[in-house]
Amino acid sequence: MTPPLDLSRRQFLTASSLAAGAALLAGCAPGQVSASDTQTLQFWHLLSGGDGVTMSSLLDGVNGAQDAYRIRPTVLAWGTPYYTKLAMAGAGGRAPDVAIMHATRVNGWAPGGLLDDWDLDRLADLGVDKSTFPAPIWEKGFVGDRLFSVALDAHPFVMMFNTDVCDAAGVLDTDGRLRETTSPEEFLDQLRTVGGAASGHALSYGYLGDGAQMWRLFYGLYAQHGLAMELPLGGKAVIDKDAAVESLTFMQTLLDGEIAAAQNDYGSAIAEFATGKSGMLFTGVWELRTMQNAGIPFDAAMFPTLYGTPAVYADSHSFVLPHQTNADETKRELTYQFVADLLKGSIGWAEAGHIPAYLPVTESPEYADLIPQAHYAEAAEHVVYDPTAWFTGSGSSFQEDFGAAVQGVLLSGDDPAAAIDRFEARANTMLAQPNPADPEGTWKP
Amino acid sequence: MTTSTTGSVAASGAATRTIVTGSASGIRLRRPGSRNREQLVSWAFLAPFLVAFALFLIWPIVHGIYLSFTDQSLTGAGGGFVGFANYGEALTDPVMWQSMWNTVWFTLLSTVPLVVIALLMAALVDRGLPGQWLWRLSFFMPYLLASTVISQIWVWIFNPQIGAANNILKAFGLEPLAWLQNPDTNMLSIVIATVWWTVGFNFLLYLAAMQNIPSQQYEAASLDGAGPWRQFWSITLPQLGPATVLILILQILASLKLFDQAYQMLGGVASDTTRSIVQYIYEAGFVNYRFGYSAAISYVFFALIVIIGVAQALVSRRRKEL
Repeated sequence: MTPPLDLSRRQFLTASSLAAGAALLAGCAPGQVSASDTQTLQFWHLLSGGDGVTMSSLLDGVNGAQDAYRIRPTVLAWGTPYYTKLAMAGAGGRAPDVAIMHATRVNGWAPGGLLDDWDLDRLADLGVDKSTFPAPIWEKGFVGDRLFSVALDAHPFVMMFNTDVCDAAGVLDTDGRLRETTSPEEFLDQLRTVGGAASGHALSYGYLGDGAQMWRLFYGLYAQHGLAMELPLGGKAVIDKDAAVESLTFMQTLLDGEIAAAQNDYGSAIAEFATGKSGMLFTGVWELRTMQNAGIPFDAAMFPTLYGTPAVYADSHSFVLPHQTNADETKRELTYQFVADLLKGSIGWAEAGHIPAYLPVTESPEYADLIPQAHYAEAAEHVVYDPTAWFTGSGSSFQEDFGAAVQGVLLSGDDPAAAIDRFEARANTMLAQPNPADPEGTWKP
Repeated sequence: MTTSTTGSVAASGAATRTIVTGSASGIRLRRPGSRNREQLVSWAFLAPFLVAFALFLIWPIVHGIYLSFTDQSLTGAGGGFVGFANYGEALTDPVMWQSMWNTVWFTLLSTVPLVVIALLMAALVDRGLPGQWLWRLSFFMPYLLASTVISQIWVWIFNPQIGAANNILKAFGLEPLAWLQNPDTNMLSIVIATVWWTVGFNFLLYLAAMQNIPSQQYEAASLDGAGPWRQFWSITLPQLGPATVLILILQILASLKLFDQAYQMLGGVASDTTRSIVQYIYEAGFVNYRFGYSAAISYVFFALIVIIGVAQALVSRRRKEL
């Protein structure tokens, strides 16, 4: 038999491996170059599920509205894998043009030169400056004097409540909003009343094996004492023991099996509330879509102020400029344009539950009509973020360390004071370690 | 390769064997230089493997030792020589020791049932049960599943609200447990899932070993009036000695590598009671970005494996001498 091509085996192997190599290289080439001078901007983000769908449609919006740039998004699984990949891209100097990070993670990154800072004047020219953000959100973007992240949103920990259950319990006011409570006792009374009307528990709160979820509630309560934890690198953690123990003990009280189930994980709590069995849910705003899809009658509110100072735990999805060794000036310019465009169009982002950070959006009449989003919008003024340190923030080991230290208190009635001591010891161990992005500690903001 | 010597080598397998292994005179028959050439050819055949071996095994091992003496970070920062600082930190790090203990504890907890249950299952299938193929299949099947799959299955079984495990407890009137979330039970839960997952492999090794025992021995024993128990204790078990040693070695090494299922079943969450040393190495390197420190912990762990390996070698040598 004569082969169709007169090739020896070796020639064939050489040829085919060359062809495969060429195909691989083609895969690495930048996106198709269109005839016009439209620039493609690489954008990495970690928004999946409902958030991802919303982000896609926002990107379609900004892409369609102009010809100067096209955004090419890359979605990666949120958490450690995302941050590891972004860090490595930045370390190699060939990072995407723009990326989303949690504002709380920026502090660990800026010192290593993984991020380039934003030029305040260029942002201001595009209508993005201090006056267009709630103060705590804008300030969170700074490390030292330089702005490293521009927030798209704040996503606080809020309270959702089933309006049927709460109405039956008589805890709603004439506008149908939850009656305000201002002390732990008052709030517990309200919960017990709600419990009488709910077929399940008064409150759904899932925390098992989920350090972040325990931290969100705890740190909000702690901050309501008018305090903030301090984590000075190389020093000792500054934690107010009394406030910490009081907050943790209050959480323990909630999980008495009457008010809330003593053993609930994140998914079970969501399911309990989404099926209308419970009266209230402590959750991040990102579950708004879930509840809307569940079709239950519900509303949401800022977490009640129980210890004097209004404070809610939150984080922000923020735009950062991952470090590029040879940044293309045209693309940089367009990146600024893109961020400004997306911020101005972020009313769509509110539909996913997040509070847009850009004030002209949240102050618009359109936003006031968005219910229940508008009912917790004031939370943006009172957000508190993780204490600043290289090892804290969303998806970091810090929140898991907290969970590991205190879960026994919530689950099996361990001593809260001992748990706080364990947590403090762990924080001090971490503080003794140098920031791996800047091991010699030479970086100055 | 058409010279007469190589031709004769290829011509007869028997001749080849004599030339290569046996007589020196056979080698003298070859033309000078042909031996070198033959060696060259064999190295050329080995080359692709050797390149991969050097690139992906030898080099990382050597580079890892180097890294462990630096403060290299995943972010590209650092890289300066820090002497034994990483090792000093590792040896005084309570989390490192806790993870090491968790790994050893898991190995102890999992190895015993993985050997004993495998033995019982093999004995049942070999001696008693009809439909051997069905049992063999069902006992071995879980082993074929990916760790991600078994993690998902057991996450649902252990779900505190709707999981099968708690339904069983409730049926017996017992209190439901937060299996994976409670630090008192999470390691046990991982052990249970692991045993279900991997016991099939040991079962197969035991079954093969049992089927190799000559049936005459059993016939002779039953003629002498030995019942099934006697036969099991005096024939089957002693004959399984070498298989047991092999299974133990494989099992201990497999258990020390604990990571996938523990990481996945707890959703990547680090729990003080389940964090294995491999997970801590991963966390140090890829969550906290400290490659140098991560490398140092790896070598501390490597030392532990060497100690276990040497101990095992000593024990099995003493056994042979006895």
